[in-house]
Amino acid sequence: MSAERWKDDEVLLESLRKGDPGAVVELLRLYQGKIFNLAMSILKNESDAEEATQDVFMTVIRKVGTFQGNSAFYSWIYRICVNTCLMRLRGKRRNETVSIEEFMPVFTDEGMHASPMDDWSKEVERDALNEELGRMIRKFTEELSEKYRVVFVLSDVEGLSNEEAAKVLGLTVPAIKSRLHRARLYLREQLSRYLREGRAE
Amino acid sequence: MLADYCNGSMDPRLREELDGHLSRCEPCMAFTNTFRATCDGTRKLRETIEYAIPDEVRERLEAFVRSSALKYPEKMREYRDQIERDRREKVADLVGAAAAGKLSSATALLVESHCAACPDCSGYIDASRKTGTPPAGDPPEGIQSHLIALMQALPPGEEFFLA
Repeated sequence: MSAERWKDDEVLLESLRKGDPGAVVELLRLYQGKIFNLAMSILKNESDAEEATQDVFMTVIRKVGTFQGNSAFYSWIYRICVNTCLMRLRGKRRNETVSIEEFMPVFTDEGMHASPMDDWSKEVERDALNEELGRMIRKFTEELSEKYRVVFVLSDVEGLSNEEAAKVLGLTVPAIKSRLHRARLYLREQLSRYLREGRAE
Repeated sequence: MLADYCNGSMDPRLREELDGHLSRCEPCMAFTNTFRATCDGTRKLRETIEYAIPDEVRERLEAFVRSSALKYPEKMREYRDQIERDRREKVADLVGAAAAGKLSSATALLVESHCAACPDCSGYIDASRKTGTPPAGDPPEGIQSHLIALMQALPPGEEFFLA
């Protein structure tokens, strides 16, 4: 994350601690979009995401006095958001998600790729296809189970480093790398299938 | 390892070895290229992502933050009940509009395609249409949550009534 962001957050943090009323409005302005969207990516429906977002802001505001500064302010906020959302998921009937194993690359005994390999990488560099690719990535991401989806959103969408994501989720860095890698492999496979089908028309 | 290769942080000797293999092995080359394209795709997504938050959610959030719900958590229940009441009212309005044949075409389409797959909602909406008015009281919980989801599927800002 950029140095400017760090500085803004420092200033905001100070004002929040002092109980400056404008600070809360500023907190909302800076984070409501990100928190709501992060909640949406975990909870997948607006009502839950909205309530979770309210809970997150309430927690942040009330606990800002106890924030130690061991991590960046924004990663602390994301952590609160992830925990709030995951707690909500517990005990709720889970939506159907895909089994990621089906999308992992398969190798022969000799270590060669067992499935046919199309190289569609050059094609998607064209602009029109780019936008569609973005849409398809979002769609396929939604179908992943939270275990992989949350890591993917934090790392590849929100841009957190492996170390930051590890802190937010309470996982080890190797665990983050592994889940991220599998999420990417899944996406690659989904995109391949989608693009192959499109071409067959 | 693949991630390191794609973002340039792989050990140079290892990279040389991998490059050598890739030049001789088409499937692996295709795999690596498509993997890299996937990662590029998500990076571009990050650059263009808009953190859209629906207007009414944003307004409620701001009202919440300014309200005493923050200081007095017991007021949260009251606050949430109010939101729940607002939603129920909207659902009742939707069913009323459906009963009177006054849905916008986008909404009618959404309702139709949902009802084609959902006998409960279909039965409820049909009954309303026959009498011209929705049944008294709230719809059953399942139907209620389907109709809420349906309204949330409308493009932001779109009203469900015919102009």
